[in-house]
Order: sequence, then C-alpha cells, then structure tokens
Amino acid sequence: MTGDNEQGEMIREGPAYRSKDRVRADRTDELYKDIPEGDVLMSIKDLRVVYQTDDTKTVAVDDFTLDVKKGELISIVGPSGCGKTTILRAIAGLLQPTSGKITIGDKECTAPGSDRGMVFQDFALFPWRSVRKNVEFGMEIAGVPKEEREQRADRYIKAVGLERFADSRVHELSGGMKQRVGIARALVMHPAVILMDEPFGALDAQTRNIMQEELVRILAKTERTILFVTHSVDEAVYISDRIVILTKRPATILEVVDVPWPRPRDRASPDFVQLRKHILEELEKENVMDN
Amino acid sequence: MDFKYDKHNKYHRAVRSLLIIAISMVLFVEIWWVLSILANTPAVPSPLETWNALIDLINNGDSITQKSLGQYVGSSMATFLKGFLLALVVAIPIGLILGTFKTLNAFANPIIEVLRPIAPIAWAPILILAINYSTGPMLVVFVGIFFPLLTNVVFGVSKIDGSLVDAAKTLGASNSQIFMKVLMPSTVPYIMNGVKIGLGIGWMCIVAAELYAPTLAGIGFYLSEQATLGYWPGAFAAIVVIAVLGLLTTGVAEYIHKIITKRMGIDV
Repeated sequence: MTGDNEQGEMIREGPAYRSKDRVRADRTDELYKDIPEGDVLMSIKDLRVVYQTDDTKTVAVDDFTLDVKKGELISIVGPSGCGKTTILRAIAGLLQPTSGKITIGDKECTAPGSDRGMVFQDFALFPWRSVRKNVEFGMEIAGVPKEEREQRADRYIKAVGLERFADSRVHELSGGMKQRVGIARALVMHPAVILMDEPFGALDAQTRNIMQEELVRILAKTERTILFVTHSVDEAVYISDRIVILTKRPATILEVVDVPWPRPRDRASPDFVQLRKHILEELEKENVMDN
Repeated sequence: MDFKYDKHNKYHRAVRSLLIIAISMVLFVEIWWVLSILANTPAVPSPLETWNALIDLINNGDSITQKSLGQYVGSSMATFLKGFLLALVVAIPIGLILGTFKTLNAFANPIIEVLRPIAPIAWAPILILAINYSTGPMLVVFVGIFFPLLTNVVFGVSKIDGSLVDAAKTLGASNSQIFMKVLMPSTVPYIMNGVKIGLGIGWMCIVAAELYAPTLAGIGFYLSEQATLGYWPGAFAAIVVIAVLGLLTTGVAEYIHKIITKRMGIDV
C-alpha cells in the first residue's frame, strides 16, 4: 500500500514501512503498564506530511509535535480541511509521513498495528460479519482462543449497550449503533492508544450527544489513552482532557488548551461556554487569515 | 364479485405475478400457433405437434439412437458442470491476483480485451476438432463462463472498501489475513454476479458446441439429429427442453445469488 490518495503522491524520506512490522498482539496496553498514569505514553515529534502532484508540492502537516500522556483524552480540532485526519492516519501508520517520529514508550511506531486501535468516521465494519464477529475480528487476528474471544466480545457488546443485537448484521443497525460496534471493536483489543477519526461525524446531532455521553461513561470505567479528531468544538470541550487547536494548512499546533474539569460536564456552565467561545474565536481567526 | 387487489398483501402480489406469467405464456403459445399456420411449412410445427413429440421423447426416448431423454440431458449437464467448475477454479484465483496486483493486471488486460469479445461459439469448431470431441464442448462452456467471471472478480477486488482494509490493518491483520478475511469475502458477491452471467452464457454455449460433437450425445446433438432428418416437431421438443433447463439454471443462480448477497451484506 503506497501513500497515494486524491491529493497526489506522498513524499517520504525514510525507508518504506514494512508490512511485517505490523503489530498484531492482543492487549498491547500491558506492554506499557510500567508507565504511570499521567506520564508521557506516546510522543509525536516533528511530524511532516508532504504530497506531490504532477507539478506542485503540498505541505499538509508541518512541525507537529505532541506528547500524549497515559490515560488522557486529547482532542484535535482545526479549520476544516486542515489535515486533522492526515495527522491521525499518520499516527495510525495508514499513511507514512514524509518525516517525523512517532513512539509509544520506547518503541517507534511504523506500520499500522493493533497497538494503535482506530475508530473510523464511516464505521468501517465488515458487512458480512455479525456484530459479535466484528468485535471478535482483532482477537481472531491475534489468535485469542475462541471461548475467550466470545466472552470478551460479549462483555464489550454489553458495555456499549448492544447485547440484544450481538447476532445482528451490521446493515440492520442504525448509525449510532454501528459506531458503538466500531468502538467496542477497538476497545476490546486493549490497544496502547486509541485513535478516533471524527467518530460521531456521520451521526445526527441528537445521536451524537448521546454517543458523547456514552463514550464518557465507558471511559469512566476503563482508563484509556485516546486521540480524538473532531470538527465539533462543543464535542471536544465536552469529552477532552486537553484540546489541540490546529492552524490552517499546513496543519501545525496553534494552541493546546487544558480542560481540567471532571466528567460528565455541563454544556451550559459558564466555564464550558467561555472555553468553547475562546476556541471558536481562535479557529475563526485562522479561517479569516485563510481568506 | 367483490374482490379488491391489495398491493401490500404478499399473497395477492404472488398470485398477481403468477397470473401475469401464465397469461404471457398462453399468449406466447398462441402467437407460435398462429405463426406456424401462417408459415405453412413442416419446419415450423404447431405447439400441439411439438407437445406430442416432447411426450414421445420423454416416454420413449430417441428411436434412432435408443437413448432416453435423461441420457441426453445428463450428458449435456455433465459437460456443462465440468466447464463451469473449471471456469470457477481458473477464473477466481486469476481474478483475485489480477485485481490485487495492478501492474500485472495492466499487462494482462490487453490480452483479455483481445480474447474477450470473441464469441465463445467461435472456438467450438477449433477446440472440438483440434482437441477432441469429448473435451472440446466442455472447453467451449469454460470459455463462455471464464471471461464474465474473470472481469467480475477483478472488478470486485477493485471495488473493495478501502476503509475495511484500513480497519483490518489497525486491528493487526497481515497482508495474507487481509486477503483471506477482507478481500475474499468482499469479492464473493461479485463472484456470484459473474457466476450468474456466466451460467446463462455457458448454457447457450453447451448446446451450440454439441451440434459439432455427435459422440457426446447431448441434447444439442438430439436437436441437430432431428432437424437433419426433417423431423421438426422433435427438434422443437429439444428446444423446449433446452429452454426449460436454461430457465432452471438461471433460476438456481438467481436464488444462490440472492442468498449470498444477503449473507454477505453487500449488494452489487
């Protein structure tokens, strides 16, 4: 798989990712259990992504450096089309950045693997598999025995509230239910880091709010390290520990905002409204500069 | 009579479509009958004559070769199945490989495009005379099914949802696991589509090929034997048998296609 996409061909400087480097182990979070909560788990250094079309070079992401602490949820927000998803895909290993280094603990991340679980905007569920079989996919790959696989899948299906639909086909589910499957499929593998690419972007406003509450509820029970890309500032303020605001293209970090309040949060509280307004203004400035 | 058609009632709908089919078949026979009278030649027998010949064929078989209808049909079916299975075994792996490796496909595509438009029947005299009477017709069926199947499989691989492959990768799947657990299942509906089209073409090929291959003694041979002897109702009876078997084949293919598409959750 090359890094080609509609924007042109990716330029890369280092040697190409090798598919044999793909991590396929179950419970990769165990590998980093010695890192205490709140210490740096994943670090992204000088990430740079350049696309080449026939006659032009486009810098999509430039100089993106971020330390992700264990157990925190970081949201990445930015002007539309700024390259949020590109950053996330680069971290996932689905596209190889032009330069830069991504490490989890001491281990450098290259090819995609089960240590960086991902939840997709378009759900990306396997339509020929039932809900349970979708959730089991990663464990199948990792060689988890059938019995344990089924038990764990059932536990997570229950956690996302789909126990009545465990044997349903994906096409029988609503959008919100589909994304619950997507989340369960990622969580059940216990990846070191979970990447969420606008997971609620395809849902209607009401379902979206419910899903945000659900996510907060699920996370309250299990400590996870999550990188969450969204274009909704409201969503970011509602769920995140920290919010990374990106500039317009090429995407680089404009500001990192701490959101120290406990969850669940009140969207109508003055602090909430104030922070939301601040971020929106920052983004607005970026968009104006664009014009 | 106080009867009202309710289009939301499943049974009403079923009865309605059966009635339409029945009326259409009656119309067909009527037109045939009129045409046979107008043509006024023994080469176009009436439906009744054909029916009698068909009953005779079913009951007494072929009076010349002493073969029964079952033997003729069985022989055709066997040839057909052999060609079909060979096409499956050859076209699906080649299609998966060509679909996966773009450069290889670029090399193969010109060759395929040169061969594909040739009517399978055109191969019949060559394959049958150059190879032999028993494998030739099977190969004609193979050619007929091979190309639609191949192009559908290649197309199916190209239509694979990239985000499913991405999802598999982030769940740790190796390339061979992606091939087995993502690529293969998502291509199945396209394979079935190719099979459906291929079965129709293959069935046309078998009869045509048998016209050249008397030793196989399929239903196509019976057709040509009867026509050569000028026993037209017999020839028409053979055509009816071929039509019914063709309907059955496509019916079975449609049914399997429907089940599999539903099972795979992908509609193509």
